[in-house]
Amino acid sequence: MTADESELLELRSSVREFLEAKSPEEAVRKLMESEPRFDPAVWAQAADQLRLPGLVIPEEYGGDGFGPVELGVVLEEMGRALLCAPFFATVVLAAQALLASGDSEACARHLPGIASGRTTATLAVAEDSGSWDPALISARAVPDGGGDGAWRLSGRKAFVIDGTTADLLLVVARTVAGPSLFAVDRRATGLEAEPMETLDATRAMARLTFDAVPATLVGADGAGGRVMAKVLDIATVGLAAEQAGGARRCLETSADYARTRHQFGRPIGSFQAVKHKCADMLVQVELAEAASREAARLAAEGAPDFPVAAAVAHACCSRAYVFAAMENIQVHGGIGFTWEHPAHLYFRRAKSSQLLFGGPAVYHERLLDRLGI
Amino acid sequence: MEQDMQDFAAEVRRFLDAHVTKAPDHTAFTWGEGDDTMAYFSSLPPEEEREHVQRAREWQRIRHENGFGWITGPPEYGGRGLTPVHDLLYDAIESEYDVADTGTLSVIGLGMIGPTILAHAQPRIKDRWLPAMYRGDAIACQLFSEPGAGSDLASVATKAVRDGEDWVLNGQKVWTSVAQHSQIGLALTRTNPDAPKHRGITAFLVPMDAPGVEVRPLRQMTGGADFNEVFLTDVRVPDDHRLGEVDGGWTVALTTLMNERATVGSEGAGPVAAALSPDRLSALMRATWTWDDRALRARLAELLVDAMATEHLNTRALRRLRGGVAPGPEMSVSKLMYGQNLTRAAHFVSDVLGPRVIADTGKWGTYAWSELLLATPALLILGGTEEIMKNILAERVLGLPKEPAVATTKEVRS
Repeated sequence: MTADESELLELRSSVREFLEAKSPEEAVRKLMESEPRFDPAVWAQAADQLRLPGLVIPEEYGGDGFGPVELGVVLEEMGRALLCAPFFATVVLAAQALLASGDSEACARHLPGIASGRTTATLAVAEDSGSWDPALISARAVPDGGGDGAWRLSGRKAFVIDGTTADLLLVVARTVAGPSLFAVDRRATGLEAEPMETLDATRAMARLTFDAVPATLVGADGAGGRVMAKVLDIATVGLAAEQAGGARRCLETSADYARTRHQFGRPIGSFQAVKHKCADMLVQVELAEAASREAARLAAEGAPDFPVAAAVAHACCSRAYVFAAMENIQVHGGIGFTWEHPAHLYFRRAKSSQLLFGGPAVYHERLLDRLGI
Repeated sequence: MEQDMQDFAAEVRRFLDAHVTKAPDHTAFTWGEGDDTMAYFSSLPPEEEREHVQRAREWQRIRHENGFGWITGPPEYGGRGLTPVHDLLYDAIESEYDVADTGTLSVIGLGMIGPTILAHAQPRIKDRWLPAMYRGDAIACQLFSEPGAGSDLASVATKAVRDGEDWVLNGQKVWTSVAQHSQIGLALTRTNPDAPKHRGITAFLVPMDAPGVEVRPLRQMTGGADFNEVFLTDVRVPDDHRLGEVDGGWTVALTTLMNERATVGSEGAGPVAAALSPDRLSALMRATWTWDDRALRARLAELLVDAMATEHLNTRALRRLRGGVAPGPEMSVSKLMYGQNLTRAAHFVSDVLGPRVIADTGKWGTYAWSELLLATPALLILGGTEEIMKNILAERVLGLPKEPAVATTKEVRS
């Protein structure tokens, strides 16, 4: 399904209204220090009232079958509100990994629960180095002696978003055929999850230890590399939308403050040094929105330039958000450096989003690689 | 609205298909083959330039005869009576075709001065000049900037003094594009040195062949002369050539500046687009054995991210335009990025080339970049400096307050 311009506007305003009510700054601050790092009641409402977890899940698996453009609108709003929720890990990482695997049996087993909001999930790829490159993975899976398609998974994963709370873990581990995707139940024996301290407390991360944990192969044995290439394109574009939304929010906060804060008897926004900071932020935000929305549109069309556009969106939005979050603090001056001011929450989210999938060194090479350079 | 736009677009394509062919793709190329010119300013020899202007006039005449000479203009002056969105859509579609570059006529004259004449000139002047301009017969230039009035345009000091039925103009204008080809010029002059600077300006339409008008080429830092200085010495202009009220010229100037059009899509299509083409830049890195230099690769990636994001911004504006939605702030952002991207590309390529861009080895595609390198500072000045563009974005889009005005006439009188 594809929404037209007015339906997208309607979607945006209903999500914004919901998040303004359910995820104001006080709620974010409370959840940042809670376990789990989200409010199950709000998550249930997002599912029941707005049907958000099922938005982009195909109708055959119980979702509403919308595409990347609609997902982008929702993620921009979530990024803007710094929503603490299992949405990114469940819908953008795990559900997309299931779909990319082409394993219809696994999709039929897990996606309806995800679409309804009953199941939360995540994708565990990176290990202690933080790299998402499937070639660098050392966790291993071996066929279980029983022989009924069951496997045993051992090794360590780190930087796993919502890793202590997700009901379903999709894990990339190595078999003799190469990197492969597996499904693991959180309650499985031999699995331990411990929270990691994070720069951005609005996004929980965990370290997982697997000791011969029962696992089910998802998709073909050895197909994990191909699946991950596809998932990373979709995930980075999803992240880009979140980043664009957060960056827009930083710009708005700065412009509001520059209009009202007086020093030397004038609004600080009348000084060119401040004015130009805000203009520079606007430029970055406009580019970020264009890059992320255009990448989503190309994904929806299945266009051949989507992988290039995804790499552009990831790099452009990462830089724009970090820039806007930093300048937001500078425009505010001292007050922007206090714990009570929300500027640092955006700074933390911006920096950690930029580096989540490897950071500039990785995403610059990904772009050049996609361009054949 | 959308249906109307589709019909109009189809009509434009029928017209263009009947008269011209599609433009070649400037981004497709093979290393070492074809023209390696990489320039922003044309800097043609005078003979070629005259031919170029002649071709521009002819194409404008064909547009005019087919109803596309003045898309937004009123029918009584040969216009089509459509909206600025139709106009932008026409430009965007035409940029896909191989047509004569009419910039000499259209950027300043048809785009900015024509609408100003329409809004402020007396009927006789409109009858005399508007049809001639949009038919391609008359070219107009903008006699605004002065040595002492750049970004601060309202401090113009060229004097106009009333003498019977005429005015006598004295002063110097600078950075006047196309003055050497123009039949008329729109001049801002000081008529009241005692009023606050915005309220002592009067606008006149000056026939460029009037005695006392002297056009001298202004050589810019690239070595070519794409602009002029215009000296006005006791130039007599009849009062009916005045636009707007006496001392009301600032309003006239604002009309002109507000018509400085956003062009959508066309900037991305010209030969300069090649400077930002991933294929060309990667071929250059291969040819210079630098493709595995990590520092250069990171810079290349950053450059391409900006270039491609800017392209996405233009694509999205163009798509909205086809749906009948006028461009928003993204066009100012696009102009700003256009200058920055080309500047960074020129410096990136220079750093890749190293000594090969400081002295000509005769090798294809190397020293040729020096022309663009020398042109790029202009891209952050012309049509509004980067600083002025940022003020505009911050004030008009973000609603930040203006700097408190210092209204004084002293600087003007001295």
